[in-house]
Amino acid sequence: MALWLFRGLRKGVVTTRYPAVTDPWARGLPTPPAFDERLLSRALADRLVEICPSRALAREDDCLVLDVGACTACGRCISQSAGAARPSRLFELAATGREQLLKRIAIGSGEIVA
Amino acid sequence: MSDIGARETTPGDQGKAGLGVTQFTLEGRCREREDLVAELARAPGTRLADFFGDVEEGGLVLRLVYAIESGERAYKMLDWPVVGGTYPSVSDLDPAAFVEECEIYEQFGVRPEGDELLNRLVVPPHAGHEFPRLGAAPPREGREPHAPHYVTGEAFEFPFGPVRAVAQESLYMGLVTSGEEVIDLYLLMWHKHRGLERRLRGMSLGKALFLVERAEGLSAVANSWAFCRAAENVLGVVAPEAVERARAIALELERVYNHAAAVAALCQATGLSVGQAQAEIALEELLRVNLAAFGHRYLFGTVAIGTMGRPLDEEVLSRQLPQAYGELRRVIESLWSTNSFMDRLEACGIVTNEQARRLGLVGPVARAAGCDMDTRRDHAFGAYTGSVVNVAVRERGDVLARMQVMAAEAEESVRLIRELARVGPPGDGRADGAGFAAPGQETAAGRGGSALGWCESPRGESLAWLSLDPAGKVRRARLRPGTFRNWRAFDDAARSRNVFTDIPIIEASFWLTVAGFAR
Amino acid sequence: MTGASLGAGGAAAEDRVAQRLHDARAMFGRSLHIRTVDTGSCAVCESEIRLLLAPHYDLHRLGLFFTPAPRHADMLMVTGPAVRAMDTALQKTYAAMPEPKIVIAVGACPLGGVYPEDELAHGSLDRVLPVDVFVPGCPPSPLALLQGLLVAVGRLSEKVSGESFVGSSPGGLDL
Ligand code: SF4
Ligand code: SF4
Repeated sequence: MALWLFRGLRKGVVTTRYPAVTDPWARGLPTPPAFDERLLSRALADRLVEICPSRALAREDDCLVLDVGACTACGRCISQSAGAARPSRLFELAATGREQLLKRIAIGSGEIVA
Repeated sequence: MSDIGARETTPGDQGKAGLGVTQFTLEGRCREREDLVAELARAPGTRLADFFGDVEEGGLVLRLVYAIESGERAYKMLDWPVVGGTYPSVSDLDPAAFVEECEIYEQFGVRPEGDELLNRLVVPPHAGHEFPRLGAAPPREGREPHAPHYVTGEAFEFPFGPVRAVAQESLYMGLVTSGEEVIDLYLLMWHKHRGLERRLRGMSLGKALFLVERAEGLSAVANSWAFCRAAENVLGVVAPEAVERARAIALELERVYNHAAAVAALCQATGLSVGQAQAEIALEELLRVNLAAFGHRYLFGTVAIGTMGRPLDEEVLSRQLPQAYGELRRVIESLWSTNSFMDRLEACGIVTNEQARRLGLVGPVARAAGCDMDTRRDHAFGAYTGSVVNVAVRERGDVLARMQVMAAEAEESVRLIRELARVGPPGDGRADGAGFAAPGQETAAGRGGSALGWCESPRGESLAWLSLDPAGKVRRARLRPGTFRNWRAFDDAARSRNVFTDIPIIEASFWLTVAGFAR
Repeated sequence: MTGASLGAGGAAAEDRVAQRLHDARAMFGRSLHIRTVDTGSCAVCESEIRLLLAPHYDLHRLGLFFTPAPRHADMLMVTGPAVRAMDTALQKTYAAMPEPKIVIAVGACPLGGVYPEDELAHGSLDRVLPVDVFVPGCPPSPLALLQGLLVAVGRLSEKVSGESFVGSSPGGLDL
């Protein structure tokens, strides 16, 4: 039993200090995509909508709508976006309204305009 | 960071024989098949690994998957077209098939000859004829999986669930007890049925894979690897060596964290809170190793067809894994010398060797009951073909034996990871000229066909049988996680002279999921 | 898209949520008790929730506790795509909780990802219960769950509304 008491002492040391401090390992967590609207075209947006396995993307006219709630951060859209999407690195995503998780991204011309 | 691509081979060069799956060549009528099934049920070293239905153009075909584990060591399949709405009972010859017979009845409405009652599995009692299934509804639903208990004398029924303790999966346990002793126990699992095999029909492989790994998230690597192996076989894709190594590393990481979680659950069930806290520290550290190595705490998205969905950072394995696993090993060593803990485990929840064989159990539950089996060794695949896998076997079949098996397996997994990571520099499996096949990419068009894939999950042999249509979409996908096999021994284990406070201990030592059973 | 299910109510619905949260928070100077229900998860969200009690996260230090009894629960944490077979059990658990009560949807499953609405699942928890806090992720890590809980009890402000998910997001982890 002395063994357990001794081991028990280590317990407090590992506890996160979140939300005061965010643990560094959290940097590696998968996160939903963020988009570079200058690189998005309608055709690319449609392709990403088709690829998403979680129905988290939709296109409404000249907007790509990202549903952060439905997104599983699987990374499929990012790997197929030719640079137009990358991980947002946002993991504090809790929302009090469902619509706050719907993000409308205006589709640009599909090429970078300087 | 490995840059890993897929290499395509011509369809002929990696045929079904390459994966060790052959068809029993038997052109004949039903009776002959029945003789063969009877013969296989008696044959030593042959085990009925799965049994499922598939609706083809000509009607329902039953498919039996046999694992042959002496001599040639292969999986063989036997197709059995159903004529006249019924088929000769398989469970009469091979009792392991009873649950599958119930499943076939519930999903396709076809039952074996005879009048044995079949149980309800995943169709809720209030569901009607139109409940979504893989085939036609049976004329009458399966009976409830328990005989009515007449409460006589001391015994009473104690209902528990489906909403249970904190963050436990939904599961209904009907416990018949005299107050302390378990007289009978039955489980209802239909609460979590999501109809996965049905959903997979018509899906592209990329999207199917996404759901396959969510069938049972705690075995995501094993189940998706089995599925990918089936798909690669149909498509004639050979994963490069570096991919196979990275997959094996992911699979072993999955085993280590699952066994750590089982140890934490065992401590919780025995009321050893300090041990639980220490095991949870190990578990959390191991999940962070997964995150650092592959980019996901539960390794989702790691396995993809012909490639890696997430690249491996091999450096993490030498930098972080030894410390995280060291935590687990220290807890386990302390537990071995904690009498109050060991006393609860010994002679608790016994599964005998005879039960394990008769019910067709797999994984640690079977190995703790003296069944020396492990697909990584017996049907070596991928990177395991070049490795020696030491399989831990114990004889007693109790909770302690299961924990000993898990402890030894975690140790062996870490050794394997070290060995696999040492083999060569990352990226040496790079395919010449082949593009990076991202997980969403569809490469399947133009090839139909079917194949079996297998893998050793933390819960035992995981099987996936896949049939693709010529457009490259899923025609039928059968998922049989290890979990699906092992629940059938849970009531036997719970009844083996136990008091009902032992049930959480037994559940922790099985470490199964409801998600994987109800799919 | 689950957006379709959100049409009804609009501003009124938002007021209702705000009022519920306000009511609930007013009571929560004391410790808070959480009940969990699984409506068809893959078992991984459960694993992350259990880890909230592990030494690394030690939920108790925040005055938050899990309880197996719905009658003592202030908060309902739901995982899974709201499988219809769980309807009765879910509604019973919810009804047994005293007012005011908060519902937290955990993971992509109850937020409308992974499974669509069909004969087997509602596909989104807000079709069957009034959801107060949505926690995205597949699974949401224990840190994301902590954030969700702290948002629910009003000790942390929600961040995601201010994020556009366009270009370089200023609130990212590199800060
Ligand atoms: S990360 Fe995956 S789930 Fe999220 S939007 Fe992209 S493809 Fe869809
Ligand atoms: S949200 Fe993801 S991790 Fe959670 S239960 Fe659903 S599939 Fe599993």
